[in-house]
Amino acid sequence: MISSELAFYAPATLAEALEQLAAAEYGATILAGGMSLVPTMNLGLARPETVISLNRIDELAYIEEDADTIRIGAMTRHRDLIGHPIVQAHCPSVAAAASVIGDVQIRNRGTIGGSVAHADPAGDYLPVLAAAGATAVVRSATSERRIGAREFVVDIMRTALEPGELLTELELPKLPADGGSAFVRLARVEGAFAIVNAAAVTSGGSATIAVGGATASPAVAEVAGDASLEEAGDAVYEATEDAFGDLSGSAEYRREMARVYARRALAEARDAAANGGGAQ
Amino acid sequence: MGYVGKGVPSLTNTRLVAGRGQFVDDIALPDMTHVAVLRSPYAHARIRSIDTSAAESLPGVIHVITGDEVKANMNAIPETYDTGAVGAKGVKWYALCLDRARYVGEAVAAVVAEDKFAAYEARDLIEVDYEELPVVADPEAAMSDDAPLVEPDWGDNIMATRDITLGDPDAAFAEADGVATGSVRSSRITGSAIEPRGCMASYDPYDDQLTFWDSTQNPHPLRQYLAGTLGVPDTSIRVIQPHVGGAFGLKMPTFQEEPLVAYLARKLGRPVKWIEERTENFQTGGHARDTRFRYDVAYKDDGEVTGIRLEVLADVGAPTALCGWGMSFVTWYCLPCVYKIPNSETHLRSVVTNKCPWNAYRGYGKDAASFLMDRIMDHVARETGLPRADVRFKNFIPADEFPYPQVSGAMLDSGNYAAALEKVLDMVGYDDFPRQQEEALAEGRYLGLGIGQELIPEGCSMPGSLILNGSDGVEVRVSPTGDVTALTGITSPGSGNETGIAQIVADGLGCELSRVRVIQGDTESCPWGFGNYSARSIIIGGSAAQLAAGDIREKMALVAGRMLEADPADLEFSEGNVTVKGTPGQAVSFDDVASDVYRNPHGANMEETEPALEATRHFKIGNVYHQPEKQGRFSAYPSWPNGAAACIVEVDPETGQIEILKYCMVHDAGTIVNPLLADANLHGGIAQGLGAALYEQIVYDEAAQPLTATFMDYTIPTAVEIPRMELAHQETPTPFTPLGTKGVGESGVGAPLGALCNAVEDAFPDLDITLNEVPLTPSRVWSAIQEAKTGAPEREAVSR
Amino acid sequence: MKLPISIAINGQTRSLEIDTRLTLVALVREELGLTGTHVGCTTGNCGACTVLLDGDTVKSCCVLAADVDGQEITTIEAFSTGASTLHPIQQAFADNQGLQCGFCTPGMVLSTHYLLGQNPSPTEADIRHGISGNLCRCTGYQMIVDSVLDAAQRARESAPSASGAAE
Repeated sequence: MISSELAFYAPATLAEALEQLAAAEYGATILAGGMSLVPTMNLGLARPETVISLNRIDELAYIEEDADTIRIGAMTRHRDLIGHPIVQAHCPSVAAAASVIGDVQIRNRGTIGGSVAHADPAGDYLPVLAAAGATAVVRSATSERRIGAREFVVDIMRTALEPGELLTELELPKLPADGGSAFVRLARVEGAFAIVNAAAVTSGGSATIAVGGATASPAVAEVAGDASLEEAGDAVYEATEDAFGDLSGSAEYRREMARVYARRALAEARDAAANGGGAQ
Repeated sequence: MGYVGKGVPSLTNTRLVAGRGQFVDDIALPDMTHVAVLRSPYAHARIRSIDTSAAESLPGVIHVITGDEVKANMNAIPETYDTGAVGAKGVKWYALCLDRARYVGEAVAAVVAEDKFAAYEARDLIEVDYEELPVVADPEAAMSDDAPLVEPDWGDNIMATRDITLGDPDAAFAEADGVATGSVRSSRITGSAIEPRGCMASYDPYDDQLTFWDSTQNPHPLRQYLAGTLGVPDTSIRVIQPHVGGAFGLKMPTFQEEPLVAYLARKLGRPVKWIEERTENFQTGGHARDTRFRYDVAYKDDGEVTGIRLEVLADVGAPTALCGWGMSFVTWYCLPCVYKIPNSETHLRSVVTNKCPWNAYRGYGKDAASFLMDRIMDHVARETGLPRADVRFKNFIPADEFPYPQVSGAMLDSGNYAAALEKVLDMVGYDDFPRQQEEALAEGRYLGLGIGQELIPEGCSMPGSLILNGSDGVEVRVSPTGDVTALTGITSPGSGNETGIAQIVADGLGCELSRVRVIQGDTESCPWGFGNYSARSIIIGGSAAQLAAGDIREKMALVAGRMLEADPADLEFSEGNVTVKGTPGQAVSFDDVASDVYRNPHGANMEETEPALEATRHFKIGNVYHQPEKQGRFSAYPSWPNGAAACIVEVDPETGQIEILKYCMVHDAGTIVNPLLADANLHGGIAQGLGAALYEQIVYDEAAQPLTATFMDYTIPTAVEIPRMELAHQETPTPFTPLGTKGVGESGVGAPLGALCNAVEDAFPDLDITLNEVPLTPSRVWSAIQEAKTGAPEREAVSR
Repeated sequence: MKLPISIAINGQTRSLEIDTRLTLVALVREELGLTGTHVGCTTGNCGACTVLLDGDTVKSCCVLAADVDGQEITTIEAFSTGASTLHPIQQAFADNQGLQCGFCTPGMVLSTHYLLGQNPSPTEADIRHGISGNLCRCTGYQMIVDSVLDAAQRARESAPSASGAAE
């Protein structure tokens, strides 16, 4: 039950949104798909005084490609990523992550920007973006800056966004022709938050694995292209010293699962590369 | 040939699939007000003072109520389960805490406002000065001499104690070939009906009538409890049960909000509605199952169990007027379930803590008893090296020994446990499984098969209870046009008993099913009855319906006999026609007979016959003995449905994750009135059992703060996790109901616990894994695998 | 704060002034009186509040009413006008006992409608994934899955080229 008074704005353009955000005296809360924010408000755990909805800003919903990158607008909904030919061709693990977030209804409404900016340690895009070496494009009324995906999440549910800033785009390098990628996750039941989730990208002589769920932000490990799965798992295990525990599993369990899922993600990414990779 | 035995879809389906049901929150009255309840944030605290001034001054707020007003105007809520009758301790529980809160979520104050926004906003403005008190968070710690007390007047934290010995356990243990010892734990869970609780009241001062709509299972008993709490005649209250969005026991009365809303509506003279939020439901809506067992079992090398010593320790949460704590009693009462163990010693300690009180939940403690016995049988199998099915066959109560008195005083009415197990082993492919397992293992896949045997007695009837009672009433009316109405004391929370009642009445009258309308859930129109719980609706309500229909048919046969100039004994009622046996042309329609009864009460056909076609009958089930014998034992359950389940799972050895590949059950509920709805109930019961076995767990921290407050933390299975279930029925009718029905509403929920533990253990034939605690979360299973592997030189690299 | 919005609800345009604290499900139930959409959790887990927003299923407890200005909302009430005009999906649920208490059912029907629009011939696994955002505590899902299989079959038989969509 949302009981605290609420000022609501739904600008039609990004410029308008940035202006309103800058003008909000006590700060405003950004509403994207709302799949995390509205439940939190319903529970009374978040009581924003001002909400700025991005749902009417069509210019923030897009999937585009350049020669080397694909660019995804922050308000692109999960379901639009799943079968998108550009995503499928060049960043298939983004589609893989999008396809297992929540459930059908959540995917119909939730957005990639909202999910990333929420910075839940179990967020499914976070390891994908970290492994891919993606970049977050961040705008304010007066500036634009680019933040590496690995630096974007600074703590549990905290990002590098400054007051007045908005995540507007995610830019991912295209998977090279000989590369492969994969996303896998472990959860109690369908649609539940991941205990751990893992993404891997193989490219040329190296492989990058990022595992979420165990630590505040994804644990990233880079290994040589010919590293064994065990080595890759161990590298991730080393990177999850700060693992936390919760009702779904102890810190120790999560670390071990980070190791297991790192291996599995890498194995799948190698299979994908062997079968023609992401690039078609 | 008759409707009983046919799989007729539920009569309520059309309305409900159309979204045209009426659940309590769907009811809106002019001038309606809304209630928000302020709850204790502490597990145990004294309420020093409450400042309601800020809340009262918020626009839209009509009234703020605290414990002081409750104390001055309301009685304590009457107990649903008479603690005195079974030698347990009780408390006076009020609609709001008077001076002390004993669990997080206990109601402390409430706001009535013009709209929900104002009610909730004002609720957050109430300031309570709490003094935190020492907390009892663990049932074992609760039993220590220096433990803080949940109820200072009690002197200790033990609510109920039972100790019974049968035979000579000491001798059995002395003469045993082996003794096994262990512990088992069933975790704290909750039923999680998708519709939370809710109620609404409207008061008419000119008629002194309070109408009370409630998502409840038991309208008539609730009326008694409301009247008792308010101190008004029960005739001044009408309880109406709208559609109920799932109940599973948890909507049995009486919660604090029910009399609170009733009181507020009377006081304010305006309709008052309260709808529970999901977090409130997790905090206050009733928990179940939190039970720890210790066992010693004496066995012979041939697998015969000759003696047991069982200790049951139940954490029933804070004591209230709710009937949930009785589940701990029933767990103890069922032991040792389907097994004939001549020398048994059973002990029960029901312990209170500063946690949410238990309320009834599907299985009502029987589930935990079956779980314990499954684990014991598997342990004996492990120790003796005998197949687990053989150990069960060896120890079952033989089919020819019913009725069988169990150690607690329970009188098991009927059963054929061995036949059910044999059949389910066949269904699951028990004999072929080792080959299947070996093949899978060669591919690096770990498959396991588990067996579970459940005994889920029904028709609960406790001495002195105004709710847990083995009788119920049905009125059948046939109108002048031959249309039929059945009004029942039982209610349906969606399980379909109205359809079963209609089938029984249609057969009883020999009319078409489409002519029968069933009315339930209204104290104003329905005969006295205790409502829905303990799968009693068809066994007890159905029996009353059959009796009432029989009375009417007898009168109609008399009249029809006179109309046809035939002996009533020679008449056949079928499909709306009354015919003379052997003379098909000699017939009269059911409707014409009804018409004649009403139109010509003074006519020749009605000579010396009472007018009208209305009959109310109440059925009292047999096999209940409430006069205790020398050890205080009595028989509270007339009917003992049972079942055998077997499942095959695949376990991921690297993560501990379990996938159920196959789940089979053979169930014995005696005569089945509606096989479609019986299966539907079993599916639901099994799914909830699988939820408890694998996923569900209410967690509290050391300060008794609940950590599971939403469906994000409390995991219930989706359609993806629940496998397609394979069911078969074995019908061993009970001699104690006219149709031989035994009840199916709670069945299925007991066997998954043991079956799943056993299956996961079985998936690792080379490891000595014991899983005696549910839920089998991936981390718990993984830890058990790691523990069993300890000592192995290095971590095994397992391919996926 | 009050805000004027205009929506199309089950094909009818409505303009109304709403409190910004209102969620879409509260708008539908309390302001529009369409009580077939239910509330089970308000955290986006149970799916009892599922409605169609511009044709796509969403959990209406997690959408602010102020955020649907100008959009089309379809609720369970659009799927039938009486007992004899049930939508084929509803009829399949009724015939196959794909419900017990009926509380989750409107959401299940809408998710089924959406699923069959996307995939007219779903496998059992497709169905289980497709309805995983709708929790049911009564049925163990089995007869729901059977109902969806039957609904798909009926839709294929009656209109091989079009999906049996409600308004």
